[in-house]
Amino acid sequence: MTTTLGMRVLKALAVTLIVVWSLAPIVLGVTTSLSTQREVNEGPSHWFPHHPTTQAYRALIGGTTGEHSGGTVTQRGEFVQSMWVSAELALLSAGLTLVVATMAAYAFGRLRFRFGGFLLALLVGTMVVPIFVVVIALFKLMANAHLIDTKKGLVLVFVATLTPLATWLLYTQVREMPAEPEEAALIDGCRRWQAFVRVVIPQMSSGIAAVAAILALSVWGEFLIPLLLTQTQNAKPVTVLITEYVGKYTTNYPILAAGGVLALIPPALLALALNKRITGMLAGS
Amino acid sequence: MPGRWNREGDRSARETQILGWILVVPAMAAVGALILYPLVKGFQQSIQSGGILFGELPGYVGTRNYRDVLNDPTSRDAMRHTLEYVLLAVSLELVLGIFVAVTLHRVFRGRGFVLAVLILPWALPSVVSGVLWRRVFDPDNGLLNSVLLHLHIINQPQVWLASGRGAIIYITLVHVWGVLPLISLIFLAGLQSVPDEVYSASAVDGAGPWRQFRYITLPLLRPSMAIALTVGTLLAISIFDEIYVLNGTALNTRSILIQVYNTTFVEADFAHGTALAFVLAAVTAVLGGFYALALRRSTV
Repeated sequence: MTTTLGMRVLKALAVTLIVVWSLAPIVLGVTTSLSTQREVNEGPSHWFPHHPTTQAYRALIGGTTGEHSGGTVTQRGEFVQSMWVSAELALLSAGLTLVVATMAAYAFGRLRFRFGGFLLALLVGTMVVPIFVVVIALFKLMANAHLIDTKKGLVLVFVATLTPLATWLLYTQVREMPAEPEEAALIDGCRRWQAFVRVVIPQMSSGIAAVAAILALSVWGEFLIPLLLTQTQNAKPVTVLITEYVGKYTTNYPILAAGGVLALIPPALLALALNKRITGMLAGS
Repeated sequence: MPGRWNREGDRSARETQILGWILVVPAMAAVGALILYPLVKGFQQSIQSGGILFGELPGYVGTRNYRDVLNDPTSRDAMRHTLEYVLLAVSLELVLGIFVAVTLHRVFRGRGFVLAVLILPWALPSVVSGVLWRRVFDPDNGLLNSVLLHLHIINQPQVWLASGRGAIIYITLVHVWGVLPLISLIFLAGLQSVPDEVYSASAVDGAGPWRQFRYITLPLLRPSMAIALTVGTLLAISIFDEIYVLNGTALNTRSILIQVYNTTFVEADFAHGTALAFVLAAVTAVLGGFYALALRRSTV
């Protein structure tokens, strides 16, 4: 194929456009977070702060004093606390979901048992159930079980909502894996569950890592479910807390942006670290 | 001897049966207790009256709540808005997704870096996307206003998110920013399945880049397009986070889900909120069915 100079320039332009489109809002968030409220409010607005300052981060973490908050009020320590809640929720939910889904995926993919096909269809079918329908009813059930506003309650809900997708992704992986290693282990006298633990799980490890990352990212990004099922700082993840920094009339953009930047660091690092595995898994689904 | 083999086989088959059941019980229990059971409960709620709070006796009312929400002008507006979000988001995602995939398909220096950067918007919480974009649309000193004022395209600051159609376009843009990586990857995977020889052969036959795109790339992307279309639709039809962060529950940008939230948790009207949620659920389930069909057709 002949590539003309024109085509090459066009391609370079297109690639630049994609990079700018993907990064510009993030860069804008960083520059906003390093500005002062005055610099943001003065017209014409500055894209880049003339005197970068960490004032917004200090206000976010240490709390605002009434006069300088500009429509946004933060309490000392609450942001850090919510970041921990988000991390805890993501790790616990992703971990538990992985255990449950790996077992189910193996059973559906390799074992012939009664009603197996039906149960798989039922499980995967729940993927089309929009989660908000469930959450409204769950709200009452969880209130009765005193699980509103607890991390435990949120983890349970996340595990249930993520299990169908995780099982499906891992199931397709089990189906594509060669069965010979497991058969060899069975012939060598391994019991079925031993073969699963010692041979099949190690074989699935790269798929499990990719699914773990996808699960953790999606829990970190959850908003609607915790918005409805939490009330206090006790179990409020960072996504819910951030929206409270949007003032009714005016908003302190530097503080809001600082919150956004800190909340995007963990998922961004995870996505960058595992990006090949994640892209492979997503493109395959 | 054969008898013994059979007994062995029976034993191992029974073991498989039992192990299979043990391994799927946790998954089925979680989904059964926390998704299927609430689903049934929710449906019961939607065919009962609102109760004492709304000055009536609790009891079975059949399809009344459904008729109410389908006739309610605010809910109807929310449905119209949702349709606009979906149509706009999906068409943007298809066009831009194919553009990104075609651009990044061939190997070039720095491709790994671009792919890593590409998935970032998808990895971020949609709430954070909303936060990052919010300053752009701020009515007082937002960046969109400053730039357009500076270029003399407008002569006074505009309240971008207050005007009906415009606000929906801006919110969709933020939504598309987060979803486009996923759609691009779907198309990229579709392109990888096209052997390079097809292109070199057509180049020998004198086909230019446009003709190659039109007669080779596009037809071969058809299966990916079905998947991208459904994924895009399912994500856009339940749009909530971006609207909530950028414009709250303002009437001019309410989607069905924002309306459900407002009815159920702000007005405390569970009966009507659930009914509206089930209307959306029915539409989503039908679309999900199409997705399953498209997926099956593209994998077979």
